[in-house]
Amino acid sequence: MNVVAREAAHARATPRSDRYLDVAAVTKRFGAATVLKDLDISVARSEFISLLGPSGCGKTTLLRLIAGLMKPDGGRIAIGGNDLTQVPAHKRNIGVVFQNYALFPHLSVEQNVAFGLEAQRTLKAEIGGRVQNALALVRMQAFAERRISALSGGQQQRVAVARALVVKPSLLLLDEPFSALDRKLRETMQIELRHLLRDLEITSIFVTHDQDEALVMSDRIAVMNEGRIEQLGTPDEVYSSPASLHVLEFVGQSTRIGGTASASGQGGDVGIETPIGQIRASMRRNSGPTGKVVVGIRPECIALGERPGADFNEITAELADIVFFGSKTALHFKPPAMEDRIQVEVARLPSGVAPGAALKLHWPIAETMVYPTP
Amino acid sequence: MTTIGMETQVTAPPRRRLLQLDAPAIMVLPGLVFMVVAFAIPVLILVADSFRDASGLSLAGYRKVLGDPYYIGIIWNSLQLGLITTIGSLLIGYPAAFALSRAPARLQVLLFALIFLPLTVSIIVKTFGLAIMMRRDGILNWLLLNLGFIERPMRLVFTEFALYFGMINVFLPLMILPIYSVMRQLDPRLTDAAASLGAGPVTTFLRVTLPLTMPGVVAGISLVFSISVAAYVTPGLLIGDRFMTMSQVMAKAYLNIRDFNLGASMAVVMLVVAVTIVFTSTYFAEPASRRGRKG
Repeated sequence: MNVVAREAAHARATPRSDRYLDVAAVTKRFGAATVLKDLDISVARSEFISLLGPSGCGKTTLLRLIAGLMKPDGGRIAIGGNDLTQVPAHKRNIGVVFQNYALFPHLSVEQNVAFGLEAQRTLKAEIGGRVQNALALVRMQAFAERRISALSGGQQQRVAVARALVVKPSLLLLDEPFSALDRKLRETMQIELRHLLRDLEITSIFVTHDQDEALVMSDRIAVMNEGRIEQLGTPDEVYSSPASLHVLEFVGQSTRIGGTASASGQGGDVGIETPIGQIRASMRRNSGPTGKVVVGIRPECIALGERPGADFNEITAELADIVFFGSKTALHFKPPAMEDRIQVEVARLPSGVAPGAALKLHWPIAETMVYPTP
Repeated sequence: MTTIGMETQVTAPPRRRLLQLDAPAIMVLPGLVFMVVAFAIPVLILVADSFRDASGLSLAGYRKVLGDPYYIGIIWNSLQLGLITTIGSLLIGYPAAFALSRAPARLQVLLFALIFLPLTVSIIVKTFGLAIMMRRDGILNWLLLNLGFIERPMRLVFTEFALYFGMINVFLPLMILPIYSVMRQLDPRLTDAAASLGAGPVTTFLRVTLPLTMPGVVAGISLVFSISVAAYVTPGLLIGDRFMTMSQVMAKAYLNIRDFNLGASMAVVMLVVAVTIVFTSTYFAEPASRRGRKG
């Protein structure tokens, strides 16, 4: 990706002037373990943000703190300028779609959706119409009378969304709502939900451990690790310019090569000595670490053949495996000096290429990422 | 087409042996035989006894039990005993079961043991212990005196207070157990969901927790009521003849005055009363827990 596009992406990523949801210096401890430490995050109005991270990184805890289902040990949570830190969950007007939907098994679809309106003492005359509208939004009108246990997973999820939206929440929280669905359905529901929330302009926070889901759905992604946010940016930013080795590893595929960085070479580049030869990286995108480092390259940045110019790295490696994905083909190279494989993605496999062949590979030094060894 | 269909229908029903003994049928046999010998036959004898006396067929027992104000008072006493014991156990047991189900796993084991330990102690031992505690010079009076609640020792033993105190003590575990077993299966996210929809603690309890734990409540009520309405030992030891119950009348009829007809009639009335109340409570509780499940 070129610099102009990246700067445009950055402009999009910068929060719009309003800090609608403002989480400041929030800390949460469970016994001796600190799950969240001085965490800050701001979300703009009608933005869709994903909290992405491995299990145990604190993303669900953060969600529960925002919903008011837990109290933080420190820090402040505000929506639209109102401090909600001490406000109990039922007075926050924040909708939640739970992982297993948490629909009320003793109530019908209709009664589940009406629950919030009744709890908030909405006028009886108004309830029926709003329930019907909410069910229409998720295309579940035909199931209004059904029992929850008579619904499929996808239908239950729609009801859970309708139940959360009908009360017009100031914020919608989604806790891995797709994890119980099969792949095909999940992809459909992701797009559908994204459209729905965008049309309603509702501010949403979405917790997931599935990077594809986060990349597909989000305006911005907060990549979390061990109770901290490691990077907050657009899907493109997070993928193309990972802020840390963890982000690089967690989001998308990558080849990682250990090496030693020497003092910066000519033209603002840094040279890294690796088991497969010297690799150069652009100083512009890296802070220029020295000593033990890890080089990271995205598979689609590597191309087959000799390098077209001086701004590219080039190596020769033996092809170990060809993995066909249909729309793309992954090539795995296994240089003898390296433990990991080098992953390359091509749209189409060149003719005559077979495992065992020694091939030349090249990639731009501008797409070479360098991180200090943790 | 029709003829073919009819033909298949004729041959379709598989030949069934008169008594088909599959595995579940065999497994239920020992229990069935035991219940016939230990329960069904004695109940039949009892019912037969209630309709006859030394002179042959007679409704004298029923006429006495259902006509004499003295015996009607006794039936009322038993109902009151069962009702107050059940309500008391429910009021104390429901919150206890809730707390138990939400306690950390390790604490749960300990609390569980504390609640069910009393069940391992014989009712007679427990009741005598209570009687000693409630004597004029017992620890309860001593406590009330020293805390300044009373000026001189109160009469506690052989009062209705002692009776209900003892009864609830005996029956509380039987109320907690079924409620707890339903409560622990309640997904805590359901109450989270209710809160996120704007329902305060009271609404959440009335609209989510209570309806979903109703089956446990009904089981507890049925269990405690049907056993406490027939209690014999605890009322006998804690209040004695001052508060006659159906069980005591039965015992006296059989053991002292040898009027089997009277005893059997009282027994049948008690059986009918207990079964009726248990079934009605189940019937009335069912719609509450199943509301909205239809359709």
